[in-house]
Amino acid sequence: MVDWTDLWMFALPALLCWLAAALLSLRGGWQKSVYGLTIGGLFIFGTYIALMWHSLERPPLRTMGETRLWYSFFLPLVGLITYIRWHYRWILSFSTMLSGVFICINLLKPEIHDKVMMPALQSPWFAPHVIIYMFAYAIMGAAALMALWQLCRKQDQMSAIDNLTRVGLSFITVGMLFGALWAKEAWGTYWSWDPKETWAAATWLCYLIYVHLRRSHPATIRPALLWQVLCFLCLQMCWWGINYLPSAQGMSIHTYSS
Amino acid sequence: MRKSWGLTEGSLVCCGWIAVGMLLQLLTGPIRWDMLAWPVNAVILSALLFGIVLIHLCRSRFRLFRWMATLQAGIPAMVTCAMMTILLGVTRQVPSGHVPADPIGITAMLSFWPFVLSYVWLMLLVGMVCMTRLFRPAWRNIPFLLNHLGIFIALVAGTLGNADMQSLRMMVQEGKTEWRAVDARHRAHQLPISIELHDFAIEESPKLSFLSDVTVHTKSGFTMRDTIRVNKPMSVHGWKIYQYSYDESKGSMSDISVFELVRDPWLPYVYLGIFMMLAGALTMFVWPAGISGK
Repeated sequence: MVDWTDLWMFALPALLCWLAAALLSLRGGWQKSVYGLTIGGLFIFGTYIALMWHSLERPPLRTMGETRLWYSFFLPLVGLITYIRWHYRWILSFSTMLSGVFICINLLKPEIHDKVMMPALQSPWFAPHVIIYMFAYAIMGAAALMALWQLCRKQDQMSAIDNLTRVGLSFITVGMLFGALWAKEAWGTYWSWDPKETWAAATWLCYLIYVHLRRSHPATIRPALLWQVLCFLCLQMCWWGINYLPSAQGMSIHTYSS
Repeated sequence: MRKSWGLTEGSLVCCGWIAVGMLLQLLTGPIRWDMLAWPVNAVILSALLFGIVLIHLCRSRFRLFRWMATLQAGIPAMVTCAMMTILLGVTRQVPSGHVPADPIGITAMLSFWPFVLSYVWLMLLVGMVCMTRLFRPAWRNIPFLLNHLGIFIALVAGTLGNADMQSLRMMVQEGKTEWRAVDARHRAHQLPISIELHDFAIEESPKLSFLSDVTVHTKSGFTMRDTIRVNKPMSVHGWKIYQYSYDESKGSMSDISVFELVRDPWLPYVYLGIFMMLAGALTMFVWPAGISGK
């Protein structure tokens, strides 16, 4: 049986693997070791998630702390895919750093919750809905970071940002539609403009605008980059911001952890 | 030749729609969605589709109509919808069906004319852009049509069908049969189906679950016995019956079970749109370089 107190035993080796991979990729060359170390880290961290799933007897997706676990897991994965696909040397350092931040938050402030999960969440839709969203968030996080990087350093990353955004948007779309199908199954309405849903729609629209803007105005770089960052801010509102938004207090069915 | 319309004109048109919406809001008050019930929604749908086809056929004559199927019109429309949606996200809403708590109407955003008109405009443009691709068979049009036609179908069917959706609560006592249910405004309705509750129970293991053992009767004499749980609704003759609540003061001793009965005749079309969008998202992921367009 593992619990939050065992996190460091898995997180530390995983982080060390990812850090080594990041440093090796920064130096250039050593590709097989970079792949191997990243996958090794993913395996170690994935094992922890699997063991948590097993000992909680439910998918660890209910609290912010538990979704942070997935985020820490998916960031290096997205980093690795980006690295394999486009060979950015620095992407693994970014993903490792971000993943490390989320691991540290979980180590310092684990949110401990009991086994019981409200009946509405006991659905086969629940795990795919949240996991797909977490994966999309990780991809969009990488895209936003690259946009910030380009805004500061003026290095052209547009094609990578565009590709990541398209992939992330397809994941957001699937996550959102799975949510709608699940809501229909569980509550009888596929869309009820609950605050979480409203912000999900706004986020989706913002990324749609980015994709269309890139198509119609491919030479307009700076506004597109700023818009990319704005999209990510909107996504933050959707993810956790609404928990603090006065207009959403007590209105959302998506805030379970009370 | 004059410069064709661009983003600026697109933004101005959106401002125009908001102004029209504000005027309508002022003159007619919030939108009464229940007035869209069958057959009004069918008339509106026919008019919308007819309008889209007509505009499409006349596009060679009018610059405006050609512009409507471009991103120059679409992007400002999307931005307007995003802004309206964010406005909805930051204002505290009154429960659905209530009058807005502010003089403008933004606390009942879903019945706020500018909000709705922004989406209507966007859907009109999406419909137009679908028309330009619909009759040009090409492999590269498939992802495009799945995405665009998918959202068009899902959103139009979902919005127009909303008024035809019946969502009622029925409270049944153990051993009794109930034919009546109440809507969100606490009006009672006599239904063509009834629920006989044999037993209500709360299971704690292996997972917490509420369940009702019921027999559903219809006026035509059809009966069906089943167990309804949270996440496991029962479907009978176009109705879906969900486990909704119970007498919480008595807990597992509750002899009352509350069901939600939902009938949604437009649902198959909404699902069609949703599955098209899912397929479209898949094509976007498989061909991330952008096979559509270009």
